[in-house]
Amino acid sequence: MSDLDKAIAQLRACRPIPEAQVRELCHKARELLIEEGNVVTVTAPVTICGDIHGQFHDLMELFRVGGDVPDTNYLFMGDFVDRGFYSLESFLLLLCLKVRYPDRMTLIRGNHESRQITTVYGFYDECLRKYGSANVWRYCCDVFDYLALGAIVLGASNTLAPASDSSPTAAQEYIDEDTEIEVCNSDGAIISRFPRQRNQQAGSASALAQQQQQRHKSPNGNAGSSSPASTSSSVGASSAATAATSHNGSATGKTGPPGSGASGSSGGSVGNPAGAVLCVHGGLSPLIDTVDKIRLLDRKQEVPHEGAMCDLLWSDPDEIDGWGLSPRGAGFLFGADIVKHFNHRNDLSLIARAHQLVMEGFKEMFDASIVTVWSAPNYCYRCGNVAALLELSEDGSGLGAFARSNGDVNRSDGGVPEKNSVLMEGPARRYRVFQAAPQDSRGMPAKKPVADYFL
Amino acid sequence: MSAPSIPNLLSLRGASRGARGRGRGRGGHHSAAATAHDATVQGTDTDAAMSRMSAVDVGYLNDPYAKYFVSNSSGPVTRRLPIINRGTYTRTTALDILVDQFLSESDGHPTAEKQIVSLGAGTDTRCLRLLSQSLPRAITYHEVDFPVISDSKFSTVSKQAALRTILQLWCHGLDLRELAHAGDTSKLNGIKTDLPTLLISECCLCYLQTAEAEGVIKYFADRIPDLGIVLYEPVKPDDPFGRMMISNLAARGVRMPTLDAYKEPQDQETRLRDAGFAQVKVMTVDRIWDTWVPEKEKERVDCLEGLDEVEEWKLLAGHYVVAWAWRGAGFERWAA
Repeated sequence: MSDLDKAIAQLRACRPIPEAQVRELCHKARELLIEEGNVVTVTAPVTICGDIHGQFHDLMELFRVGGDVPDTNYLFMGDFVDRGFYSLESFLLLLCLKVRYPDRMTLIRGNHESRQITTVYGFYDECLRKYGSANVWRYCCDVFDYLALGAIVLGASNTLAPASDSSPTAAQEYIDEDTEIEVCNSDGAIISRFPRQRNQQAGSASALAQQQQQRHKSPNGNAGSSSPASTSSSVGASSAATAATSHNGSATGKTGPPGSGASGSSGGSVGNPAGAVLCVHGGLSPLIDTVDKIRLLDRKQEVPHEGAMCDLLWSDPDEIDGWGLSPRGAGFLFGADIVKHFNHRNDLSLIARAHQLVMEGFKEMFDASIVTVWSAPNYCYRCGNVAALLELSEDGSGLGAFARSNGDVNRSDGGVPEKNSVLMEGPARRYRVFQAAPQDSRGMPAKKPVADYFL
Repeated sequence: MSAPSIPNLLSLRGASRGARGRGRGRGGHHSAAATAHDATVQGTDTDAAMSRMSAVDVGYLNDPYAKYFVSNSSGPVTRRLPIINRGTYTRTTALDILVDQFLSESDGHPTAEKQIVSLGAGTDTRCLRLLSQSLPRAITYHEVDFPVISDSKFSTVSKQAALRTILQLWCHGLDLRELAHAGDTSKLNGIKTDLPTLLISECCLCYLQTAEAEGVIKYFADRIPDLGIVLYEPVKPDDPFGRMMISNLAARGVRMPTLDAYKEPQDQETRLRDAGFAQVKVMTVDRIWDTWVPEKEKERVDCLEGLDEVEEWKLLAGHYVVAWAWRGAGFERWAA
């Protein structure tokens, strides 16, 4: 057993590794991360996770529900540390797994992977408590500076692979049903399913009407519900229509890699029928209109208080038009029009982000153009929320790898006019919803976590 | 005020202890479990004092008296997370605003005496902050709490020269539940029934049985015509956050029986109307932060630490309300 495997075993038992080993690990991790671009390219299948926040036992539950590393390909969207009691063990384990299985583990930076924030929200104190000095905190912070800012997922399928490998008939069923969204509980049992609503009456209905219809298909994070909710559908309608009219003219001409915004290639680009998925911790920035602009940032620094890098880690989607001030004091709020424009411009079908607690574990917004994934159940041992992870299947059709990516996402439907499909159809999504690890699985802490209230 | 006024304090302690000693003829109430719960409830005051100290240390609140009520024995003051500091700030500010409006009301009688009765006041410093100001009117300030708590407060206050000078305070060492069963007898010396009176319960009555909490309010409502009340309490025990709150507090031994009876903000409103208050208002703490704290002050407070807990703040602060209600004269500024 290598030292690294030993460290993994020790951390899996929620025991910190010695300071010297942390130093070595962080050094190796930095060498690895420095080679990664600001936007890492990841190929489906992939399981996308949101905030962890030092809830180590819940991270173990996540691996139980989502599959172990390296069997499952993971993408964690930041905020590994702070708030929970085991930031150190959680982050170091993820980092060990990254070093051990670099191609099966993608870590991107959250706003809590910062010197300033960790001194307020717990990680600094935890390192001090567990090692007696701030050295380990410093090593970790140096790694934070090298974490990628985002990821692009390619090759995600329009259809879902079966929830478990055991049932080949189920696979057939999936293809037949053409499920777009499936919500499972932690045991893999299906809670709800939402079929993709094809535009059967293509040509007879207006683009707006079809969009309206699509709009009602999203569960909007309503896990456990058997019928699709349609919150904000009317709010989204006008902005979608606006997006439709304003972008029809620019829908063609880009055939470069999804998310790259590149143009000029004659249709042989790497892509997938479902469009690419951009993963980022917070959201968009008014300074960033293409994914390529993210690639140009100098990321190897502490998270700045403002600017593009800050926004990517701090911003939130909101039911507004355009941009708004964030109540967090950093980043911005951005509306449906911003997301749809950005996705269209960058050949994205979906933005996956974390950063905001959602009680149901995930929440799709703006006609499923953006989703929040939250992976810290009963956040801070207080919020009573469930957590979720998002699985994107591999496109097995053979078409996906080199499909055109300029927006004709419905071509398998046989000729829906391009202007009627302004928004790319998203990949099939499976959300696995899970609860906090049972108390007895924790073994420790000797002192029970105490959540603060106003007493 | 000088030291000689101190003997006025705690004047009822002996009597109330006697009452406790005799018991109240309600079987089981003095069980070990009930006693343990009393101790736990008393412990919530230490929690509040620490939270206050943290908010003062970071700069949310200006309170020169907070430090006197944080015992060194319980270790250094742990800095609370920003979300808790903001909560401490908002609730304190909300009550300050309501109290100030009550005291500064000037229609008719700008200098007429007014009275405040703080239930379960614990180590609250509001009385000290108020009484150290030079206000145009006389204020009688009563605090009622368990004897063990008011003893300790009394001892702290009398030991500190800085605090001794501002004593016009009545500390009543009394189990509040005795008020609920007081009938026609007077349990609190020095309470003037002919003054506009403000009753404050900052997370206090919620620890009583519902009938007892009602009885406490009735005790004052039966005696004082010009009466106002400010309640600060949790709400919404039935949603996922609320259920976790109940379960976490239960793990600490804290129960809030009235929460079952007054689950929603509107239940608080009904409760106060039923208690005889003609005017009732209720607001969640997150709404109070949104609407009562001026933008500039919000900026100042946000800059102290930065709050990256926006959703959590809405959840947590949305599970607490301030309810205020009144009848009779002396509350004109509340109506505005």
